[in-house]
Amino acid sequence: MSRVVALLLSALALTSTAHAQQAGKKRRPLPPEFGRVVMDNHSSQAKLPPVVFDHWLHRAKFTCRLCHVDVGFAMKPGGTDVKAADNMAGYYCGACHNGKLLVDGRKVFESCARTTGEPRPTCLRCHSQGKEVKPQVDFASFTRNLPKGRFGNGVDWEKAEETGLVKPADFLEGISIKRKSISAQKDFALGAKLQGMPDIIFSHQKHTVWNGCELCHPEIFVGVKKGATKYSMVEIFEGKYCGVCHVNVAFPLIDCQRCHTKPVQ
Amino acid sequence: MRWARTALFALAAAAALGALDLPGGGASLPVRALAQQDWRKEFDDVCSKTQDAMALSLEELRSLLARCDKLKPVIEKLEESQRKVFTRRLQACRDLYQFVLETREKP
Repeated sequence: MSRVVALLLSALALTSTAHAQQAGKKRRPLPPEFGRVVMDNHSSQAKLPPVVFDHWLHRAKFTCRLCHVDVGFAMKPGGTDVKAADNMAGYYCGACHNGKLLVDGRKVFESCARTTGEPRPTCLRCHSQGKEVKPQVDFASFTRNLPKGRFGNGVDWEKAEETGLVKPADFLEGISIKRKSISAQKDFALGAKLQGMPDIIFSHQKHTVWNGCELCHPEIFVGVKKGATKYSMVEIFEGKYCGVCHVNVAFPLIDCQRCHTKPVQ
Repeated sequence: MRWARTALFALAAAAALGALDLPGGGASLPVRALAQQDWRKEFDDVCSKTQDAMALSLEELRSLLARCDKLKPVIEKLEESQRKVFTRRLQACRDLYQFVLETREKP
């Protein structure tokens, strides 16, 4: 009798472990979904669907720095308290989505100005979670001629920029500050912890083209003295350090060879 | 007579507050000017050097930090949207200058 109970208990334990593992496993996003952010700071309260923001289109047109430094979007999900009033005043989404700014010869549609009543059709352009909204720019057509990447959006954005196929703007009139171009900082190597794993060659140049300085320092990288910060892949996968960008938006961490590039001696 | 005294008092008060560009009444002018539209000019100037922060001298960095600190209370008084955006922007630029200063000061 006790053997039967023990057997039943172990079977139950095994089933619940399997369920827990399945529930914890995250589905890898499809290329158009990679970098997607859902913003719901105030939408649900205003009885609007949350905003679905796709990084791929925006990153092809603007540098990370422009939006996360000049426009003021936080790097953490939900970290920016965007309200319709801010957009209408020309801040956050409204800095570009004002019905006036021209991008590739097309006016950028105006952000949602709804405060009460039924949402206007323009609101649903962004407040689209759970809605069937046809995007103005189709992912497949947009990325068809861009250099291929193995993961993420399936696009090698770095190569796309190098070859001039995308030209992200780094200045927004009335928002950005006119400044000198960035002084070149040295690239450096970070030792890998596993034997046989190539060291990382960190390219300051590649990163500063899109990010400037203050996007990463000191908010993401506090210590710059060699060896001052001990980086670990566990923390990076949890979204710290490189993981702030390279988990959900920039090429993902499973693309090991993009960073671990120094030939093993 | 009473009218003249009131007018004189009003002029003196305005000059003291820096509302009028009277010679000798300039002590409070920079503060007042900063409190109005010039905050943006000052912000643009202070934060325009972030790209070149590593090349700045320690003195220049300290001076930029002081200017950031002076600008902060002015930005905190702006209307909500501007305040949110520029508080974050100013903080990011101040943090960078502080970071570069500390990095360079430490052996």
